[in-house]
Amino acid sequence: MTGRNTKTFWLVLAVAVALLWTFLPMYWVVKYAFMTKTEIARFPPMLYPPEPILASFFNIFGFDYTTAEGTVFKASGQARQIILGLRNSLIVAAIVTAITTLVVVPLSYVFARLQFPFKGKLLAAILLSVSLPPVSTLIPFYTLYVQLGLTGTLFGLIVVTLTITIPIVAWMLIGFFRNLPPVELLARVDGFSRLYTLTRIIVPMARSGIMVAAVIAFLFSWNEYVYAQILVTGSNAVTLPAAMSGFLFQVPEPAQLAASLLLSLLPPFCIAFFLQKHIAEMHIA
Amino acid sequence: MADTTRSDTPAPPRAAEISNLSFALIISVPVLLFLLVVVAYPLAYAFYLSFHEIRFFGGYSATWNGLANYSKVFSDQSFWSSLGRTLRFTAETVVLTLAVGLGLALILKHLPAKWRWLRALIILPWAVSPYGAGIFFTYLGRGQTGIGTAVAGWFGSDHTLNLISARFVIEYLAVGAAWNMAPLVAFFLLANMLTTPARLYDLAKIDQMSRLETFWHVTLPPLRFTLFVFSCITTVLAMKTFDYIFTATQGGPGGASAVLTYTLYKISFVNLDLGYGAAMSFFLLAVILGATGLLYLLWGRKEERQ
Repeated sequence: MTGRNTKTFWLVLAVAVALLWTFLPMYWVVKYAFMTKTEIARFPPMLYPPEPILASFFNIFGFDYTTAEGTVFKASGQARQIILGLRNSLIVAAIVTAITTLVVVPLSYVFARLQFPFKGKLLAAILLSVSLPPVSTLIPFYTLYVQLGLTGTLFGLIVVTLTITIPIVAWMLIGFFRNLPPVELLARVDGFSRLYTLTRIIVPMARSGIMVAAVIAFLFSWNEYVYAQILVTGSNAVTLPAAMSGFLFQVPEPAQLAASLLLSLLPPFCIAFFLQKHIAEMHIA
Repeated sequence: MADTTRSDTPAPPRAAEISNLSFALIISVPVLLFLLVVVAYPLAYAFYLSFHEIRFFGGYSATWNGLANYSKVFSDQSFWSSLGRTLRFTAETVVLTLAVGLGLALILKHLPAKWRWLRALIILPWAVSPYGAGIFFTYLGRGQTGIGTAVAGWFGSDHTLNLISARFVIEYLAVGAAWNMAPLVAFFLLANMLTTPARLYDLAKIDQMSRLETFWHVTLPPLRFTLFVFSCITTVLAMKTFDYIFTATQGGPGGASAVLTYTLYKISFVNLDLGYGAAMSFFLLAVILGATGLLYLLWGRKEERQ
């Protein structure tokens, strides 16, 4: 019994360390969303908001906030951009996720499980497009988009984002498909066609992997900042990260920055929750 | 044709059956074509820029200057120091990410059923954008606002304790990058671990393997390919990182975290020296491809043969 007790002790300790590692960096900034400017500027830094207020959340959506004592927190000038950004980020991420998943699942299955000529070369082509640093393709993309009239459009942003998500999600899924038990050989021996094997046998078996692929695509799209900053900032197609950067650089507003950052974390966090449920299901199967 | 005669598929002759190659081509060619069209143009344009001197003052002009931009890179001190920072940041990030990812995966795997909801919490840092991670770690580390000063304050000190020092800023940034990326690695490793049959662990127990031996011979082998893939992915992402470093340190303090992408940003977007920036960006691309190629040669080939 003592053996079991020490085991539980180490597990609890490990979990505590993992939770501290996970939450400390987030907590340190998110707490600003509930603090006033003077509280944030206090020295030494405060560990928690002494009197949590929700002013920043009203301000970023364009509302003034008046406390019981009559102090007024002015609405942010960035509010319109934040609201637009929230909407646009959701649209872009939804479309990018759908297209990426549809394209990448068959692609990575083929690369993981079939032997065929030119496989190495085709894989290298995908690797090359993963390796392109955005900093070096930004200016060419920008000039191309100016010529085509695609700056400040959601369509343009979706196309650029797909060039990020497709190669990287394919790369991650290839490893996953390699580890599935090789049942399709049996299915093929039984005379099923390739498409039937893929859609009726592999896809249900790999459901969790496909969910993970969709989540990865969503997050890469939702979190994309570099292209958005250059291609859509200030336009009606602005996305949330680009809209938020106004609180970081022009006039630093830590409280409103933290509030909008927290807002931008909510959809990914919900999705991460579903992802976890899915992996738990996989365990039973 | 040759692949239909593989020994493990004694396929009965089928009339309307297509070969592995055509099936693969049908699926991958449209995607590759899309990537080619959308990626090739910017690449070609960057290539064009790299052979010219671009001026904006007194009207836009592009003057052909041959390989001058490329040879200038070799003698540029800031290129070599930025490259050194990129390599240091990348190596540290990859090692930390894989180590933390493996550690988190082992913890998650051993969670009893009633604690399994904790998995949903552990993955959260990965949902944070590199941009957001940069903001988190800049406030966490800076002397004025950071955790260092707060902890010093507990012990009655009123000194500022700055975690973002010129000397260790790269290490600090690598910790933040690993914080951001490791949960994803952990979840892929966990998914792999769960496909390892439980009876292998029973066999290991019968063989009286120690805990370390069990980890080494039973847990680790099925994970090695995933570890390889993620070492490549993390290498590429770390070398490409721009937004994270941009929001975390802006290359500071005093240029101590000006990695190659940041130096490129300054050349192209601040100095507007587009030709030179384009030439240097091809060196970055070569470094990224070289590093992943090296990883493949040293490690990946071995894994693929198994």
